Amino acid sequence: MATDDVNLAERSGSLVESHKGYDPRIIFFYFVLAALLLTLAGGLAYQQLFKTGDYHERERLQNQRRVLVPGPRGNVYDRHGQLLVGNRPRFTVTLYLDELRSEIYSEYLRSRKAYRATGDKDLPTDTQLRQIARVIVVQRYLDQVNRITRRAERIDGKDLESHFLSRRLLPYSLIADLAPEEYARLIERLPIRSPLQVYTTSARYYPNGSAAAHTLGYVGTNSNVSAEDFPGEDLKTTTMRGTIGEAGLEKQFDPLLQGEAGGTIYRVDKDGYKVNPPLEKRLPVQGQNLTTSLDLALQRAAEEAIGDQTGAAVALDVATGEVLVLASKPDYNLAEFRKPGTIADIEARHAWNNLAVNGFWPPGSSFKILTSIAGLRRGSFAPDEAITTCTGTTRIAGHPFFCSNGLGHHGDVLLRDAIAQSCDIYFNYAGILITAEAMAAEARRFHLDRRTGIELPGENNRMLIPDPEWKKRVKSEAWFPGDSALMAMGQGFVVVSPLQMACFAASVARNEVFTQPTLVHQENRPPQHTEAIGLTTAQRAALIEGMEGCLLPPKGTARNLTMVESLRVPGIRIAGKTGTAQKTVTKDGKTGTINYAWFICFAPVENPQIAMAVAIEGDTIGEEFGGGFHAGPVASAVLKKYFAQKNRPAPLLPPVRMN
Amino acid sequence: MPFRRLATARPFFTLGLVVVGWLVVPIAVKTFLRASFFELTAPVTIATSYAGGAQDVWALRLHSQGELIEAGRDLTRLNSSYEFSVQQNTELQGQIARLEGLLRLPPFGDYRLEHARVARREFSGWWQRIVIRKGRNFQIPVGAPVVFSGGVVGRVTEVGALTAVVELITSPNLRLAGVVEGDTRPISFQGGLNPTFGPPRGIVEFVPLDVFASPTATKRLVTSGLGGVFPPGLTIGEITKADLGPDGLFKNGEVKLDERLGSLTEVTVLVPLNPE
Repeated sequence: MATDDVNLAERSGSLVESHKGYDPRIIFFYFVLAALLLTLAGGLAYQQLFKTGDYHERERLQNQRRVLVPGPRGNVYDRHGQLLVGNRPRFTVTLYLDELRSEIYSEYLRSRKAYRATGDKDLPTDTQLRQIARVIVVQRYLDQVNRITRRAERIDGKDLESHFLSRRLLPYSLIADLAPEEYARLIERLPIRSPLQVYTTSARYYPNGSAAAHTLGYVGTNSNVSAEDFPGEDLKTTTMRGTIGEAGLEKQFDPLLQGEAGGTIYRVDKDGYKVNPPLEKRLPVQGQNLTTSLDLALQRAAEEAIGDQTGAAVALDVATGEVLVLASKPDYNLAEFRKPGTIADIEARHAWNNLAVNGFWPPGSSFKILTSIAGLRRGSFAPDEAITTCTGTTRIAGHPFFCSNGLGHHGDVLLRDAIAQSCDIYFNYAGILITAEAMAAEARRFHLDRRTGIELPGENNRMLIPDPEWKKRVKSEAWFPGDSALMAMGQGFVVVSPLQMACFAASVARNEVFTQPTLVHQENRPPQHTEAIGLTTAQRAALIEGMEGCLLPPKGTARNLTMVESLRVPGIRIAGKTGTAQKTVTKDGKTGTINYAWFICFAPVENPQIAMAVAIEGDTIGEEFGGGFHAGPVASAVLKKYFAQKNRPAPLLPPVRMN
Repeated sequence: MPFRRLATARPFFTLGLVVVGWLVVPIAVKTFLRASFFELTAPVTIATSYAGGAQDVWALRLHSQGELIEAGRDLTRLNSSYEFSVQQNTELQGQIARLEGLLRLPPFGDYRLEHARVARREFSGWWQRIVIRKGRNFQIPVGAPVVFSGGVVGRVTEVGALTAVVELITSPNLRLAGVVEGDTRPISFQGGLNPTFGPPRGIVEFVPLDVFASPTATKRLVTSGLGGVFPPGLTIGEITKADLGPDGLFKNGEVKLDERLGSLTEVTVLVPLNPE
């Protein structure tokens, strides 16, 4: 006990307690500790050595952002290289928000202090204060721009907030579409190293206003810009808006015209602002150009000749099928397409439809050329055979038929004169002789029952070549002789488009059955060749003489094109055919018929180069509206311009530039 | 030994102290000090310039009488040529005024011409800045355009009591709106990164696609007058190259500038009479 007391006394007198040897119980804990340390080290090694890739990837996704910039669209030219659609620069003054962080933060502190000093209980939240600070700072810079450009623009707070939240990597657009003077003032007066910079984007440029508006089409906004082969698809991406073709050639050739998007990958800081220089950058590339077959001068001539009327004109190169003119009225001005109120105006004027392609009307007497071909091929009549005597009126299956041309005194008319003077009675009987089936079969040979396949989106298939089987199937009615009589003169149920009739005229000019129209110009394109029509030389001569006689006085239905000095195409022999079709409509509460004036032609007769179809819709019920007097002048304007260009000496080419 | 080490480190220590001291000095004080230094050194700059001028005068006095007579003749010819040009200019100005009256065009901004001698060219920025021997004492404002017989020199960026600093068009810090002679579409011109004593060049951006230029077929670039700083028609340089930009909307190019900008002795400041 005493010893114990001594030991205790010794131990209490010293602060150091020493042990000798190892306590086995402690050794156990060494193992536990070692195991724990090993676990930690193993975990660390696993995370650092084996999961490096994962962490690197997560760091990359968190710290990198991708910006995609669409490439400018390619240009569209006419066959002579005249610009139809291009790109115009759109100068925008922008503000780089990432360079204003310290300024915005200082403003935030100042605003917070100012609000607190007021003692108001309803203080803005922190988020609101930051937004207020941003608006104040951005407005300060906008005021600087206002002073230089003499404007009075104000910041749209919501727009700024939206940009800040979703498009922070991109500069904020303060004023878009600057005038050249404003742009000049800004580049001269803004400091080089300013957060304010002048930025350019491209907008579609239409130097010819409404010319070929339906054919060229328009573009819309495209937020779905993609950059193929550009890395970082998994990164958070900000995309600048591009364009996409929505109608016409812009839509049809969108993949060709669409530029190649460029991109930039930035590292961003904790606030999401970019850190320069970029990690990866690829410049956008302009899309490919498109050379159309259109001839701008002819297109303008056609549109000016149609004027304020409703109608369409199509001109084709006979040999190749290249479309020289594809005019449709009413139209719209592409250069003013985005102005407020334009869409409503287009709708009010019913100007959306491309009548050249999708205007379906009965072809009237212009169809008599097809009837003639069908009859001659079938042997229903011969060129020198008078199949009836025209006294101005007749009865077929008990129904009266009238001759609308030549005051009803054609008499024992032959095919040439029947075509030239457009004798309805002759063709009424011809229709019965030929039969509806044979006329329909001939029309199908000329592809009048199907789409032409022109490179335009939305070509309709409302064309109709009727026959007894169709009438029975669709109308549950029998085919009457009167139907054949009407069909022979392009009325009744027959409807076709101006483009189809232009293809038909080109085919007749080539003495073949089909012309494939195309809007793409190709230098030295080989001539088209399809099945021959199958007329004898004498039959073809009679047909062409009849068409040429159509323009000759005293009785040709388009004699005005020869007799009126301003409509004459000097030195050119033209083969043509007029047509007037009627349709019953109700307009302004009044029911009656309006006329459709047609004119199809090709020229020169001896070596056809250009073929045309013109259709003009009458706008007044009961109005006399003949093809020769209303559609003919449009064709005349185009043909005059065409042959004037042909006869003009080739322009001197600019000297070759050696760069 | 430690004492010797301390003595060795003393200059670095002092430098560190000075740097730290400069860093903590408020910006206002720094600006004041910089301005004061500029004003204090201005008389020295001017005196040096005058001394240089006197040196040139005495150097010229060493020429023979024959050389002076020859130089006098040349000067007379030059003067008569200039007098003829002045007469032509007066006539053209009259025509312009009449046409402006007929078309009711607003007159271009008027300027007072202030001729100034170049006092110094900064060697650290040979193609960037010159100091001229006139300042607030001649009411020269910041931003005023500066020209010489070959066209644009630059813009006044800093004005002291007796001197002013001109940023040259050869400097990448100067940008202005130019046009190709005969055209109206503005082009952005900016000075290039030019090597000292080398031929000066600049760059142009936003050049319309139908503008073609090559070293053998250059295009003259002149001020547009649209920017509101420079009057229109002053020569900037010759565009020697215009290549299609990556976006296909514009061309970018190079501009050859007047080599005399490297040896300027006299310039003219265009002081706006009605500043905006």
